[in-house]
Amino acid sequence: MSIGVGSGPGDWPEALSTIIEDFSEAFDANERYEMLFELAEQVDELPLDEWTEASKVHGCQSEAHIMVGLNENGGFHLRGAADSKIVQGLIAITTVALEGLSIAQVVAFSPLFVEEMGIASALSPSRANGFLNMFKKVQVEAASLEGPDG
Amino acid sequence: MTWSPSQWPTPLRLDVKAARKDFPILKREMSGGRPLVYLDNSATTQKPQQVIDAMSTYYRTSNSNVHRSAHTLAEEATLGFEESREKIRNWFGATESRVVFTSGTTEAINLAAHSWAKVNLSEGDVVVLTEMEHHADIVPWQMLASEKGVELRWVPFDLETFELDMGAYEVAVQGASLVGAVHTSNVLGVRNPVELMVELAHQAGAKILIDAAQAAPHDRIGFDSLGADFLALSAHKMGGPTGIGILLIQEDAFQQMQPFMGGGDMIREVHFDYSTYQENEHRFEAGTPRIAEAIGWGAAIDWLAKWDMESVHEHGLELARFTADSLRSIPGMRVFGRQAERDGAVVSFLHDTMHANDLAAMLDAQGFAVRTGHHCAQPLLRRFDIAATNRASFWLYNTREEASAFVEATRDICQRFS
Ligand SMILES: Cc1ncc(COP(=O)(O)O)c(C=O)c1O
Repeated sequence: MSIGVGSGPGDWPEALSTIIEDFSEAFDANERYEMLFELAEQVDELPLDEWTEASKVHGCQSEAHIMVGLNENGGFHLRGAADSKIVQGLIAITTVALEGLSIAQVVAFSPLFVEEMGIASALSPSRANGFLNMFKKVQVEAASLEGPDG
Repeated sequence: MTWSPSQWPTPLRLDVKAARKDFPILKREMSGGRPLVYLDNSATTQKPQQVIDAMSTYYRTSNSNVHRSAHTLAEEATLGFEESREKIRNWFGATESRVVFTSGTTEAINLAAHSWAKVNLSEGDVVVLTEMEHHADIVPWQMLASEKGVELRWVPFDLETFELDMGAYEVAVQGASLVGAVHTSNVLGVRNPVELMVELAHQAGAKILIDAAQAAPHDRIGFDSLGADFLALSAHKMGGPTGIGILLIQEDAFQQMQPFMGGGDMIREVHFDYSTYQENEHRFEAGTPRIAEAIGWGAAIDWLAKWDMESVHEHGLELARFTADSLRSIPGMRVFGRQAERDGAVVSFLHDTMHANDLAAMLDAQGFAVRTGHHCAQPLLRRFDIAATNRASFWLYNTREEASAFVEATRDICQRFS
């Protein structure tokens, strides 16, 4: 098992590696959707009253929102929610991937894990696109957490 | 209530198996080797081999521009194109009316808005629309309203019976110049009382445009006898190709229209300082027309003519009724529509906890293609306080087994995930 920080393939955090493995070994799309539904339950859910224009992920067919922050140890922590469980499941993957990393690690995290999971071929290219959009937004907002001194 | 295919109320009157054979796409395997179950026919139907062949034969043997040259290919192309127009004219019972080719229903309605309404209406004139309209029959009139100061009046429908409020309609048409009404709703499947609507519009001195996009696949529209002034529809919802449709126009409305697109084909003479226009339908068909598409549509009509359209209608409605009844028995499922005698083969539904996109994605993973979203009818959905539904819509090649499998898959997904 890797204990990586996401600089690229082979360096994924352990929890993410498990997801990548489960996802690529899933029997079919149905099973993958089932996984996403389960993952959706594990998100630190952003309550409806915190859904704002700023938290909204654009280019998504359904409403999806994310909010970046820090956990009690000063590591990265992502909250999110979506009205679609599948989309919330995808947010969950990001949450799991980035939990506890430093801001610099989050910003440098390689999006290649999306390819490794095979979201485009296993689900759909538009899902993969939406996912990458969301991931990019998380990284951009994480960068702003660093403050002016970096 | 759940019906099983063996308990269907009437025997098949349409040879669905034979019909299916003509559609190569229906043999396609989806992920996991599952067969394609295509239930998005209201968006567009699949095309029979005969249509595909007609278009490909045209390109392989007769491709040329129409109305322009004195050579063999040009004559064949012109003949094929104009013959298709006549087939379409006959199919829709419009022998005494005008058949103008457009890119589809949307362009047909826009043509009526630009070439008739903009020319004949002015500030304070009234256009009546129903709350069931597709965006194609809303937005052109809103544009006209903001440009010309025309007033739009909306006719509501009942949220439980899904029926148009004909009392409100009768009031709304008083003093109106034009009515725009959907023949069969693409969301609810409801077939509106268009005959009565035409009568009441005319009594009030208004012209009426019917959006028959969803009527074309299952209804024979007798345009002349219906008496509407305009009727718009698309080829692609009745087995024909995309990119072509028509506006049917009654003669006196036709005479009140002015072309809004200028160019080749629509002119009689062009001088440096002025031009004169064609007197017939070509007047509104500027530029090289959709020749292969017209020929393909003609082939679709030849193909459809093999089937008894009444049986086609009944078959679709039967599938829709079965599906609606069965979906209603799924806990948390809401079905929009009534599936009455002349309604379209459409079932819109929404689960109260399962997101429409999630349900559609999981159905898709099992090979079921259904539509999800606002169906280009946001005002209608807002009436129900919802933003989207799932929609299953059937055509003559869909089987009872497909409908049954679809219902079971939906039931199963809802049970497991909600
Ligand atoms: C009722 C109705 N009107 C208009 C349209 C628009 O047709 P087109 O996109 O072919 O122009 C549709 C197609 O979805 C429809 O269902």
